[in-house]
Amino acid sequence: MAEFRLKITTPEKVFFDGMAERLIARTTEGDIGILAGHVDYVSNLPSGAMKIKQKGGGFRAAAIADGLLKVSKTEVSVLCSAIEWSDEIDVERAKRAEAEARKLLAEKLSERDEQIVKLKLSRALNRINVAEK
Amino acid sequence: MATANIKDVKRRMKSVESTMQITKAMELVASSKLRKAKERAEACQPYFAQMYETMCDILSAKDFKSEFMSKRHLKASLIVVIAGDRGLAGGFNHNVLKMAQQRIDELNKKGETFKILPVGKKAVEYFSKRGYEVYSSYQNVAEELSFEDAESISAEIVKGFEFNKYGTVELLYTHFVSALMQTPESIAVLPVEGQTEAKSNCPLTIYEPSAEAVFDGIVPKYVTGLIYCAIVNSFVSEQAARRTAMESASDNASEMIDKLSLLYNRARQAQITQEINEIVAGSMFGGK
Repeated sequence: MAEFRLKITTPEKVFFDGMAERLIARTTEGDIGILAGHVDYVSNLPSGAMKIKQKGGGFRAAAIADGLLKVSKTEVSVLCSAIEWSDEIDVERAKRAEAEARKLLAEKLSERDEQIVKLKLSRALNRINVAEK
Repeated sequence: MATANIKDVKRRMKSVESTMQITKAMELVASSKLRKAKERAEACQPYFAQMYETMCDILSAKDFKSEFMSKRHLKASLIVVIAGDRGLAGGFNHNVLKMAQQRIDELNKKGETFKILPVGKKAVEYFSKRGYEVYSSYQNVAEELSFEDAESISAEIVKGFEFNKYGTVELLYTHFVSALMQTPESIAVLPVEGQTEAKSNCPLTIYEPSAEAVFDGIVPKYVTGLIYCAIVNSFVSEQAARRTAMESASDNASEMIDKLSLLYNRARQAQITQEINEIVAGSMFGGK
């Protein structure tokens, strides 16, 4: 099967840069599958799961937080604020983060803090979901 | 007289020595922080460059209106000023604050209103002391900056813009050029300006659900990226500036110690000579 170049970048590092056969991502409009030779395409990605298939391997899932998918002739690039392979997610840590966020939300918070905590909570839940699938 | 002098010189030498110990330690701390911060600043570059490229692509590909594109009629602006949390970093804080002050004077002359969003303790102190209208402020975020912190700052900026609290957003920060060069810079953040000269190279791109929606989704992320990069850059610059400042302070101190020890030795010699003189004189006249 034909391959395409996939590049996943976060503000902290280049997470993935290599060839892939298939990419399944969840956009704001629904799931989309990308194969080599896809038409140019841009969409926003909310927090969710993403699956990548490389030659000779099965699908590998990753938890992605809030990003952007861009398909062009030369490469497919994903920009996101954070991403983690599902098999590398520390579920314990995610659960701790969830519990901590819930505890904080129960208290009285300023609007600014509440927003941050909610964001953290949704990310922790997303990581737990992806890891336990 | 000579003895008093010796004591003075000794005391000064001690104080210079202990100052030098401090500056030396600060220099070492700054250079180790610099190394880490530099890696972070370099790592965020590709992310931001791609984000910016995508945004420009959309702008050049389609004709559309977005609320992020023009609100210039609102004669109010938000100035985001990023400075350090600590002093003793040479001209680092001063340079960026001076630039902000110039911009403020300009706006004052034109009679436009503005609000300030200072990031970093030094910036917060500067603007609140002078009684400017501070929109919201952030302190002690630069060193352990997470992307979430940048997100919450940018969310606040974007929200104010959407609610028409201001029509332009400017960002003033210190750009890290090299370990020896850091320049204060100003960037227009919002409204996003159309790059008309570079007409689309991919007009057939599909935007889902629509170019407008994707654009409106990208802008907050773009602002976040910008804020993140600016704070990270500013932090590296601070460390580099501090290292340079402390290096020259240590050099000055060691030069001073050299001079003082010369002075000390001379004074000691003079004292010994005088004592010998006294003994000789004493033995000459004391015997009779």
